[in-house]
Amino acid sequence: MNLNAAILGYGAYVPIYRIRTEEIARVWHGGGAGPNRMKAIASYDEDILTMSYESASQALSMANYPKIQAILVGSESKPYAVKPTGSILSDILGYNSTLGVDLEFACKAGTEAMQLISGMVSAGTIDYGLAIGADTAQGRPADELEFTAGSGAGAIVLGRPNGREVAKIKHSVSYVTDTPDFWRRPHDQYPMHLGRFTGEPAYFTHTTTSVKMLFSETGMKPSDFKYAIFHQPNPRFPVEVGKRLGFTDEQLRPALLNDDIGNTYSANTIIALAKVLDMADTGDMIMLASFGSGAGSDAFVIEVNSRDDDDGYVPFSERLRNYREVDYATYARWRGKILK
Amino acid sequence: MNVIPIAYWRNRKVYTRMIGTKCKDCGAEFFPPVRVCKKCGSRNLEEKEMPKNGSLLAYTKLSEPAQEFKEYAPIYLGLIRLDNGVNVISMIADADEEKLKAGARVQATVRKWTEDGKGGLVYYGYKFRVLQ
Amino acid sequence: MSRVFISSASALPVSEYWTKSLADLMTDVASKAIDAANGVKIDKIIVGNMMSGYANHQEHLGALLASSLGMRGVEAMKVEAACGSGGAAVHEGYLSVKSGEYENVLVVGVEKMKDMDTPKTTKALAMAESSDFTQAVGASFISLNALLMRLYMNSYNVEEELMDYFPVIAHKNAVTSPHAQYRKAVTVEDVKRSQVIADPIRLLSSAPSGDGAAAVVLSAKEGPVEILSSEIATNDLIVAQREEPLRFLATEFAFKRAMQKSGINVQDIDFMEVHDAFPVVASLALEAMGISKRGKAPQDAADGRFNMGSELPILTFGGLKARGHPVGATGAYQIAEAFMQLAGTAGQNQVKGAKLGLTHNVGGVDTTAVIHVLRRVE
Repeated sequence: MNLNAAILGYGAYVPIYRIRTEEIARVWHGGGAGPNRMKAIASYDEDILTMSYESASQALSMANYPKIQAILVGSESKPYAVKPTGSILSDILGYNSTLGVDLEFACKAGTEAMQLISGMVSAGTIDYGLAIGADTAQGRPADELEFTAGSGAGAIVLGRPNGREVAKIKHSVSYVTDTPDFWRRPHDQYPMHLGRFTGEPAYFTHTTTSVKMLFSETGMKPSDFKYAIFHQPNPRFPVEVGKRLGFTDEQLRPALLNDDIGNTYSANTIIALAKVLDMADTGDMIMLASFGSGAGSDAFVIEVNSRDDDDGYVPFSERLRNYREVDYATYARWRGKILK
Repeated sequence: MNVIPIAYWRNRKVYTRMIGTKCKDCGAEFFPPVRVCKKCGSRNLEEKEMPKNGSLLAYTKLSEPAQEFKEYAPIYLGLIRLDNGVNVISMIADADEEKLKAGARVQATVRKWTEDGKGGLVYYGYKFRVLQ
Repeated sequence: MSRVFISSASALPVSEYWTKSLADLMTDVASKAIDAANGVKIDKIIVGNMMSGYANHQEHLGALLASSLGMRGVEAMKVEAACGSGGAAVHEGYLSVKSGEYENVLVVGVEKMKDMDTPKTTKALAMAESSDFTQAVGASFISLNALLMRLYMNSYNVEEELMDYFPVIAHKNAVTSPHAQYRKAVTVEDVKRSQVIADPIRLLSSAPSGDGAAAVVLSAKEGPVEILSSEIATNDLIVAQREEPLRFLATEFAFKRAMQKSGINVQDIDFMEVHDAFPVVASLALEAMGISKRGKAPQDAADGRFNMGSELPILTFGGLKARGHPVGATGAYQIAEAFMQLAGTAGQNQVKGAKLGLTHNVGGVDTTAVIHVLRRVE
């Protein structure tokens, strides 16, 4: 779909705490490590509401607090099964005359929020909206997902292009099928998955299909883009899928984050977008493709305009350098893995 | 139930946005909100959002908190002077004792205060963290 | 208006009374006091208590005690002012007799805390401060005092060790105190080595919880001790909202009025029962009453100014720290102790020649201060 939407502000939040995958492997496998070096973990007093608040505060500050009419929160780790995160967040942010909605689609709920609000502002049904992807993803102890399932939140303030926008969202497509690579039933704490089935039939098929759809609808090709952002369930997949589609290391590398923070699920591609927007220049084109198990992929064409930094703005990559490592016991306590 | 849900709901703007009061007659600011000005006795007050930045005056590490905070022990509490001169007592987020010095600059964020058991409500509110 | 005398006093050892109920404790101590007052006819009962509703699921303590004592028909009620409940109950009894409406008033302070576990006790104590704005943010009662202690130490450049002399004095006096919970001396080293509860407050620098009850019979008829003044004052409920957190304004107000109304000189006071819930509370109270200069009370304590046999003995039966702090009963214990000192029945804890005594009982962090000045009737 053609879009006439603009990113007016963005924010990315990753908790200050990390656990090394070596530490997880020490406990469950007697040594070794996961595919990534570390993952970010939320403290005991953080959840997707608090992390959404953090990232939204950054995005709203950058956008100069416009009158938000829709707040969409994408997550698979909501504090309530029934009770919207969107309304809690609306209240805390001081926007009550707004739509407040929660979305879920494994790792792509955040880009769904982005696509939906982009559509609403393009159609003129609202002037400004806030799209958020946030998760405190959990892997079952000893499961391979435990190495990568991390915590984080990304937020985008969207409106129509006004000449002072950070970037324009020009086009978006989605592709979904019923592919059961990963799921969680309502009362289960941890998800189930089919191991390597999440690779070719799920991640690679859906991502390459959506990106090819995007190319075909827009007539664009990999060399038209300065940056390419793919969902990062581990350090290897985004590079692999990018190469298959014809992107180069130079286009792919700036977005990579998995080695440092793991897979932040619904926040994954939005946080990566924030990292790329921090370094992008006017006129740069960005291709972004998310992936959500179950399965589907949203792809976007984004054109960078400019960004007026506040005096106090600290780029995401710099904030990422400040972290504290915790051991498995602390992680297990904080993330509710100890039976009480 | 260790928290009264309706009382929390009533106070949620105080808890999450730090809405206090300002005296329309003498200008004094208060947090939490007051109904009668403690400076001049006026009942003519308006809502006022507090600044989110301040300085740490003192802190304590509490090993035995009340039951609704027991599972989070130890918790750190700070006496903070906001930039408008108003004092507030708050839990400290991401506390690192090395950095909890009198005079340290702190900033408010929103964190989880407590959960009322497995099926109860989740309560959110301000906590301050030390700025890097 | 009548003058107000204390006919008798009694105090149960502060302890853990596993086999006794709240009503049992009140009834036992009240019976002793009434017997000691030669079985006078009681016109009114006032019970001082802070947390019976939360701790024991029991309110209506006035009627509970009257009924338990078999005093059908007598007026009875409960008075609450957090940890100052006992003192406030004595104050109400004082006013009742002083008004001339009542001849003999029984005042009982009681608290039964040990039916609760520690987190529940912490919650109960926190109820002295704002539920909406202090308990909600995780601040327990002890943590408020810890913040105050840290502020005190920073502001006056006082070492933690110097603050530890208050528990040392309390415990020393408690060794021979028949109703004390901890009859054991401690050293500054012991305090320093004890477990931190809310940094910088340690196990041995905080008053313990306990079960206890104390009773006095107040009378318009001359008795061994006279209450010269009974004053209550309040300070901001929320400690964070005080402009000068290191000033105990409630204590200042109550003390000033108590001095004016009793017409005595501070120098003539022979001993003081100070509300030593924590060393910083004792320090700020002594400073508010002008006994010590600001920031100097811990040094005065270390110098021995408050020891038995010196210029102004304090905590003569162990204070809150060692006699024990059954919160709502504490103020009544202090009055019972002052009675014993002034009636000359303090045994090994006797302050020689005591003629004038002062009790200082606090609810919250100097949120309510209750001060009584008592004299020996010659």
